[in-house]
Amino acid sequence: MPVLDLDLLWQQLLYDPKNPLLFNNGFFVFFFGLFMLLYYMFRHKATVRRYIFCFFSLYFFYKASGYFVLLVIISAVVDFIISNAIAAQQDKFRKKLLLVFSILFNLGMLCYFKYTNFFISLSNDLFATHFNPLNILLPIGISFYTFENLSYTIDVYRGEFKPARKFSDYLLFLSFFPKLVMGPIVRAHDFVPQINKPYVINENDFAKGFYLIISGLFKKLIISDYITLNFVNYIFDDPSRYTGLECLFAVYGYAAVIYCDFSGYSDIALGIARWLGFTIPTNFLSPYQSSSITEFWRRWHISLSSWLRDYLYIPLGGNKKGGFATYFFALLFMAGVYLFGKHLLGLSVLWSGLLTFFVLLIFILPALLKKDKTGISTSFNLLSTMLLGGLWHGASWNFIIWGALHGIALGIHKIWMLITGKAFSNLSRQGWYKAIAIFITFHFVCFCWIFFKSADFATGMTMLHQIGYDFSFSVWPEFFDNYKWVIGMIFLAGILHAIPDGLADKLIGRTGKWPLLAYITVFFLFVLLYGYFKSAEQVMPIYLQF
Amino acid sequence: MNSQHRVLKFTLISIGIYLLLSILDLSFNFPVPAFRKVNLIADLVKSPQIKDSIVVVKEIPVSAKKDESPSTRVFEQFKAPKTIIGFSADTNQPALQKFLPKLMALKSGTKQKLRIAYFGDSMIEGDLLTETLRALLQKEFGGSGVGFVPITSQVSSFRQTVSHTYSKGWEDENFRNTTKGNVYFSGHLFRGQDDWVSMTDQTIRDSAAVLEKSLLCGPVTEPITIMVNGSAQSVSPKELFNRIPLRKDGSRNLRLAVTDDRLPVYGISFETDYGITVDNFSFRGITGIELNKLDMGFLQSIGEQNPYDLMIFQYGVNVLFRPNDKNFSWYGSKFQSMLVKMKKAFPDTEMMLVSAADRAFRYDGTYSSAVGIDSLIKMQATIAFETGMAFYNQYETMGGKNSIVRWAAEQPSLANKDYVHPNGRGAAKLGTFLFEAFMKDYYKYQKLHPKS
Repeated sequence: MPVLDLDLLWQQLLYDPKNPLLFNNGFFVFFFGLFMLLYYMFRHKATVRRYIFCFFSLYFFYKASGYFVLLVIISAVVDFIISNAIAAQQDKFRKKLLLVFSILFNLGMLCYFKYTNFFISLSNDLFATHFNPLNILLPIGISFYTFENLSYTIDVYRGEFKPARKFSDYLLFLSFFPKLVMGPIVRAHDFVPQINKPYVINENDFAKGFYLIISGLFKKLIISDYITLNFVNYIFDDPSRYTGLECLFAVYGYAAVIYCDFSGYSDIALGIARWLGFTIPTNFLSPYQSSSITEFWRRWHISLSSWLRDYLYIPLGGNKKGGFATYFFALLFMAGVYLFGKHLLGLSVLWSGLLTFFVLLIFILPALLKKDKTGISTSFNLLSTMLLGGLWHGASWNFIIWGALHGIALGIHKIWMLITGKAFSNLSRQGWYKAIAIFITFHFVCFCWIFFKSADFATGMTMLHQIGYDFSFSVWPEFFDNYKWVIGMIFLAGILHAIPDGLADKLIGRTGKWPLLAYITVFFLFVLLYGYFKSAEQVMPIYLQF
Repeated sequence: MNSQHRVLKFTLISIGIYLLLSILDLSFNFPVPAFRKVNLIADLVKSPQIKDSIVVVKEIPVSAKKDESPSTRVFEQFKAPKTIIGFSADTNQPALQKFLPKLMALKSGTKQKLRIAYFGDSMIEGDLLTETLRALLQKEFGGSGVGFVPITSQVSSFRQTVSHTYSKGWEDENFRNTTKGNVYFSGHLFRGQDDWVSMTDQTIRDSAAVLEKSLLCGPVTEPITIMVNGSAQSVSPKELFNRIPLRKDGSRNLRLAVTDDRLPVYGISFETDYGITVDNFSFRGITGIELNKLDMGFLQSIGEQNPYDLMIFQYGVNVLFRPNDKNFSWYGSKFQSMLVKMKKAFPDTEMMLVSAADRAFRYDGTYSSAVGIDSLIKMQATIAFETGMAFYNQYETMGGKNSIVRWAAEQPSLANKDYVHPNGRGAAKLGTFLFEAFMKDYYKYQKLHPKS
């Protein structure tokens, strides 16, 4: 008989930096079981239930990131106090002052933990300073809960939402464990009113929650992890060792990985929330089926893009006006494009200038075509939003380049719509036209992923170089032979992605109530499959050319 | 109807079954390895026998000759990191006895050329490691030039030390597609029909350096015309291996065009009259035993036409291609016979064996050093010991067990996530360590021979 080791058990309860808590830890199974039991037992006592939920959420935070859990508590305290002060304050100026303080506090914390070293390296490069990078660890989830804090105080300031009266309401909103690591970014006005509602879920919630959890786990733990570890990481780490065919597949592979990883996590969060009686808006809607880049941003990480729209794009002036910030960012960006052309692409002054001019044209042309001056500021507001949105994903130039590419593409799409909108209105409804549009959009998104994933700009360019200049189908048989499982996984991701959004709902609605045994069987099939892939032999990289 | 009880029932029943299965699995050893990977309580129990059975390592009994090492204390020196080991009982004695007198003479002003051939696999591809070693040695002892560059290469666009473009028509006979015994150390032989290659040496720091650019090629039966920087030149190489000086001037660039595919071409070498030359001979995916294919006559011809003072062999990572291998005797004897052959063909050349670097596999979900790495390193040291070559322990120099995992995790990283290849930063580090080991050996020699 196995003997329980109490020391090991005790260690399991503490934070282990080498093994932070994730949904796939064995520990999470016990955590969730105990939580469900207590949550159910006290389902009729809203206050006790809320405290239990807070405690488990904060403990999850602790198990995932150690003492950084204190940051969540501190920011909850600060924002709770400020938001109530804002709501109580009648004087407009003081109200604004409080808001500014809240924004500075939240962004300051985010900047310190996430961007300090980026700014240090920027200063070292631009001004030849010699600051040493600091040893700062990034607290898990900080990008997400900072945005949640911001949207909350801004909503309260705008008078769109009355602040939470109970501190525990606010703490739970911020620390709600299913969304901790990778979102979605939840809005207080969606979430807080659900906290103290009676715990009621119907059969449909149970079935849909189960579907979301299992499919999310499948996407994240099986597909995404397998492709990452057995293929994508090798290639992106040193593309010059691999042929163009492998690099191209690594890009497709990464498109599958980031979708499965991100949307998988969101689905698990949505599913668990559903089981607990919470509804969180969906975060991904088969984004690679978009037929334009504008549509892509309505389907990809919806909670982020809508946050950026409401709290960045609109305050910048949206599609109505441009302010100082609009033109300041536009100027910075154009200078950036020029320097990018000159230093990273190695162009001459003339070519770099021309590049900058053409990029500028992209943002001015819609206004010229429509003979509407505000169009210029609209374009630049959108661009600034994309640039800062890029930077939100990580502190590196690559994310800014990624954001810039998307911003430029949105501008180009706008011009395209202005030129072809009426003329192509019939055409755009035809299947083949849509197929071409989806193909182009998907490949553009993939192109941008190259910079998103690459460690630096040079690696991204090497990927492109290999795909462009070292491409040959002659290596296909060997490539297929070695990576058939990986290719199969990418294909599977494609199929999962192609399932129409409403199909699961329809099926659940039609098939009626399944016996519990069916759910348990599916669950254990998943567990075995996960175990199988965990123990599967590693796919080794090979050389296709000598 | 409220279905919350369904959530609770599902959760508790599933966990109950899961827990029960986990306990039963640990108690009765289910023959389902997939389940053991997801056993809920495997981390919580102390039963070492059971935990050990998770990794099923097929161990082959260690009976092969190569795994039995000389159990002398002298042999145990092989574990020393960052040191060139000569396996001498007197550790004050330097390891590179033939090479160091020449190095010392060079340092004290004797006008001579010292040529080093560095053989390896993908670990040194793109001039990694060797570019650092070359730069540091040339800085210390003089000399310029990138040395040998093959006509075409998979990594030509990324090699930092030479800008390299070529026409697409070159035919490439190499270790992979031919068994011919005349493919040179690089493993390649090229034939061109109206094909060209252009190279610019990017390593030159001394603007006054006079660079000799030579064509390395095989024999032809009648004179053949080649174009050098646009002007025609007739060549008629007769030896099995030939070195034809083409230009000797301050230019770093050479453009060569070949009109006749009867001329077997190996590459172009950029060297100065005096000082250090380091040639990089990398061929991805090989284990070194491929060099056994080279004909003795061909090797001897290289020795006469293009002699080397030091040869360094760094292989082994491609022997470790299966995660659970621990016995490499199949490889050891072949590798040793290759080295013996090389020693015979180049009796005056100093030889040194560099061990494999660390490589990791995923065991039980986490990356750690290959289980066979220690036995491979020991076997390589035994071969060096038995053939009387110097030895350098790259594995211990990197940091020993799991160093590749640490290198890949470092910020900025020193190795790729294939857990095989140190990247540019890592290779530069290894090159520097090797240079420092050279200097350590050099100072030992200097101490023993103060007046020369």
